[in-house]
Amino acid sequence: MFDTRKDVQPVLDHADLLGLLARADAARLAALAERLLPALGAIEVVQSRTGLVMLPMRDTVQGTDFHLGEVLVAEAHIRAAGTEGYGMIVGRDLERAMAMAVVDAAASLGQTAEISAFVQHEAQEIAAADTARLREIEATRVSMETF
Amino acid sequence: MAYVATRGGERAIEQSERLYRAELGRIDAARVTAVRQTLPMLIDRVMGEASLYEPDLAALALAQSGGDLYEAVLLLRAWRTTQPRLGIAEPVEQEQLVTHRRISAAFKDIPGGQILGPSLDYSHRLLATGVLQGHPFEPRPVEPAATPAPARQPSLAAWQKAQGLVADPPRAEVAPDDIPDLTREPLLFPAARAHTLQSLARADTGGMLALGYSAMRGYGNAHPTVNELRLAEAELRVRHPRGTVFSAGRVKVSQAEVMAKGKSGLLELGFCATLGWNEVKVISGATLDLNAPGAAKGSPVEEEFFLYHTEPVEASGFCIHFKLPHYVTFQSSLDALRGARGAAAPIPEQAPEPEEVTA
Repeated sequence: MFDTRKDVQPVLDHADLLGLLARADAARLAALAERLLPALGAIEVVQSRTGLVMLPMRDTVQGTDFHLGEVLVAEAHIRAAGTEGYGMIVGRDLERAMAMAVVDAAASLGQTAEISAFVQHEAQEIAAADTARLREIEATRVSMETF
Repeated sequence: MAYVATRGGERAIEQSERLYRAELGRIDAARVTAVRQTLPMLIDRVMGEASLYEPDLAALALAQSGGDLYEAVLLLRAWRTTQPRLGIAEPVEQEQLVTHRRISAAFKDIPGGQILGPSLDYSHRLLATGVLQGHPFEPRPVEPAATPAPARQPSLAAWQKAQGLVADPPRAEVAPDDIPDLTREPLLFPAARAHTLQSLARADTGGMLALGYSAMRGYGNAHPTVNELRLAEAELRVRHPRGTVFSAGRVKVSQAEVMAKGKSGLLELGFCATLGWNEVKVISGATLDLNAPGAAKGSPVEEEFFLYHTEPVEASGFCIHFKLPHYVTFQSSLDALRGARGAAAPIPEQAPEPEEVTA
């Protein structure tokens, strides 16, 4: 999601958490997953693969939903500590998807201070990057006058 | 088909492929990265025509084919078949798009305003020849506005429908799994609108431009004006095993509506969208969509004509297959020609009957 909020809630709802993990910095996400792994115990990898997700779009003229094309994604699905974790990211980075699944599994047992701190930091980074881009876009706004 | 088995070409074929690849040289990850970073517009065009969004793979396909677009698209379409379909995302709606560029040529004051975004529309087309003399071209940085643009922009078409300027037909709700899909079923005519728009999204940019341009020059039913053109990013909204719908990231998309005054007293719109940022393609495609209703059979703006002739893999494949041995076809043509000449020679005053020659 495009998050321009100044204050990030300490506990995100599941959709916001997943969206944020999918856009988080890959190295920092992997480091967090490494730190969370020991507490999860033995991990069963249900799925770790790349695949295609078809992206439909709604035509603005007749309202018809149609397929725009397929997006390559990396998917990871794990079971551990009586819970499950899932990661899916645009691209083909299986390690990033797996790190996302590990964090999702850990967060399902409770969004600890460590996870909250990570989430808050990443949310700020993402918001800053989005804002910087949108300020550049705003610079191209045009007001036309006809003679 | 009149093909003939030939023998003896194995070595020549092997050496021919080597000769082609030798000119491209060694392909490594650095080359692929350079292609991806320096040619984003080309990457977008290839991803749209391949109907597969993955910039690294598109860059690899371009590097491997030496920039032959049709070869690159074929490589990606073929590679795609090795991958499982994991699901169908939630449909993208115009008002959810993270919008980078959004303009209207028809209406000056559109709700949300006009945002040029990244564009060379108003630039001088001067080749920076100094680069070749050792003076690198350094782009000047953007001077950002104090406040950010809204990430999302309202839909002009929705506003026009609310104003009664554009027809607002009732829409049928279709579950994502039930949306017609050309990768699973053939294109039949008259085509479902979902097939038409998917086919345009995958179509060859150059082919669409040629046919769309013919309509723009007057060989169509309606002259287009750009109602709204957008370059944007769409969220890929997928489903977690526990049912949560979330964004797995963003992909670049472009979409265009073109407009003409219809006979009904309303404005009529044509629509086209594709993966990646490709303005010529979506404006051409929307022009074809606008012109399609009621088009004469065999005209370039007739749906069957433009959809069949802009499928890049089929069109380029059919074109280049003519290079493959057609010796039997040709032999039969030659025999017919010689037969006709032989028959005609003794009686020169009598015109020979034309013979039916088929491949």
